[in-house]
Amino acid sequence: MFLIFKRLWQVNWAEQWQYRANLLMYLFYWLVSPIIYLAVWTSIANVKGSVNGFTANDFITYYMVLLICDQMTSNIVIHTFAYKIQDGTLSGELIKPIHPLLTNGLVNNIAFKVLTIMGLLPIWIILFFLFKPNFSGVAITGVLLSIPIMVVAFFIGYLLSAAITSLAFWTTRVYSIHEFYFALILLFSGQFVPLPLMPKLIQDIAQYLPFQLFLYFPIQLILGKLSTDQIILGYVMAGVWLVIAIVTFNWVWRQGVKQYSAVGA
Amino acid sequence: MRIFKLLSAFFKVNVQMSLAYRADTVVNILLNLMWLGWELLSLNIIFNNTDTLGGWGLGELIALLGVFRLVNTMMIAFIWPNTEKFNQSIRDGSMDYTILQPVSSMFLVTFSRITVWRFWDLILATVLIVVGVNMSAETTTAPQILTFILLAITGMIIIYSLWIILIALTFWFVKFDNNVTILQALMDSGRYPATVYPAWLRIIVTFIIPIAVATTIPLQALRGELSAIQIAVFFAVSVISFFVASRVWKAGLRQYSGASS
Repeated sequence: MFLIFKRLWQVNWAEQWQYRANLLMYLFYWLVSPIIYLAVWTSIANVKGSVNGFTANDFITYYMVLLICDQMTSNIVIHTFAYKIQDGTLSGELIKPIHPLLTNGLVNNIAFKVLTIMGLLPIWIILFFLFKPNFSGVAITGVLLSIPIMVVAFFIGYLLSAAITSLAFWTTRVYSIHEFYFALILLFSGQFVPLPLMPKLIQDIAQYLPFQLFLYFPIQLILGKLSTDQIILGYVMAGVWLVIAIVTFNWVWRQGVKQYSAVGA
Repeated sequence: MRIFKLLSAFFKVNVQMSLAYRADTVVNILLNLMWLGWELLSLNIIFNNTDTLGGWGLGELIALLGVFRLVNTMMIAFIWPNTEKFNQSIRDGSMDYTILQPVSSMFLVTFSRITVWRFWDLILATVLIVVGVNMSAETTTAPQILTFILLAITGMIIIYSLWIILIALTFWFVKFDNNVTILQALMDSGRYPATVYPAWLRIIVTFIIPIAVATTIPLQALRGELSAIQIAVFFAVSVISFFVASRVWKAGLRQYSGASS
């Protein structure tokens, strides 16, 4: 099994490396909104002193850490896999004795992540000097505690996206469904603004959803803003949602493969 | 007149193409409404926490959202689909047929693909602008509204000219099919007044990729913040950039050597 992953890594790394120019473009594209949100909220905080307890530096550090957490926990499985179901190229992968999404698809995503994080680092350092964040609140325990959370959050996100991608077995409009899912993430993850600034109702719902584990929870954990109780609760939620994601994905995938019609074969 | 006949023919063909995917159109409009809801919610969140954003009130930001959607519609209805077609035609050489037509090739490349359902966004954008202007406390005068419309048009011409130059570069560098990503990426910056951005970002979105020229600047005219000289400058810049763009386009065409034939 280890050898399989090693070979898959070599293949997928080489493939992603081929597209490094596109990848830089993607990175640039993805960077713009967090920087705009950062600019909007720091300008408000600068005028008012603080917004609901958040100072300008709080916003700067929040979005600077968000850039890293988002790269750690997000995935692109919808773009790399849905078309394979639609045009029938999945057939070749289904014959192999390994799970297409949990081996090849996963390694492909991770290779993509590693490359984008490599590309992000120099940009992040430039932004660091442009915005001059003060990271004095960051403690090493928070950073260490956030790593397992980000790994688990990546797997939760990957499995949920993979489940949505698998809807391509039934419908060609899977991209629209994914767009809706993306809007849910935007609403409940803390991507637009730290969750305490959201309307009360959204905060209450967000607590029980997995999306805050992608961004808000690890960011606040790194910045040292969570109490022990909140950290424990976050870990419990991560465990629960990992189980839900595994079960959901497995079920959708199994039903989907039965449905698969191997277009073009 | 021939231009209008051609436009209506393009429109007809594209309506027919989209009628083949009726359900998709409905889904797209629903998603579009969802994003409008999100945009209004995000403005609501901002103004729950503050009274002004860089001196602008909620009404002005709603109007800005309307202008943003107008520019965005131009992008999504014309620029993105035609870019895709154009890049394809450079790669496979079907650009030959476009050049052979007895009409300006720049015109054909701009209008041959139209995402028809996006036109409904024009109504939404207009409603947002009217509601936003009415909500803002200051009274607006007729000349302000006229300069607003004028500058919105000049802004779009400037962005359009930049687009022409970017895709014309493909004539020299055939593999340059990321040509419009930079335009696409910075689009989102048009949702908020550029005056709140840090200086380096403001310079980028005003002078390099001038999204703000078509969004923030017209709104500033509406607020009566621009002098007559500034308005004249923007007008002159749009005329010059259109002229430069059509020159670059023609130079590019001379460079084009076909692909397969």
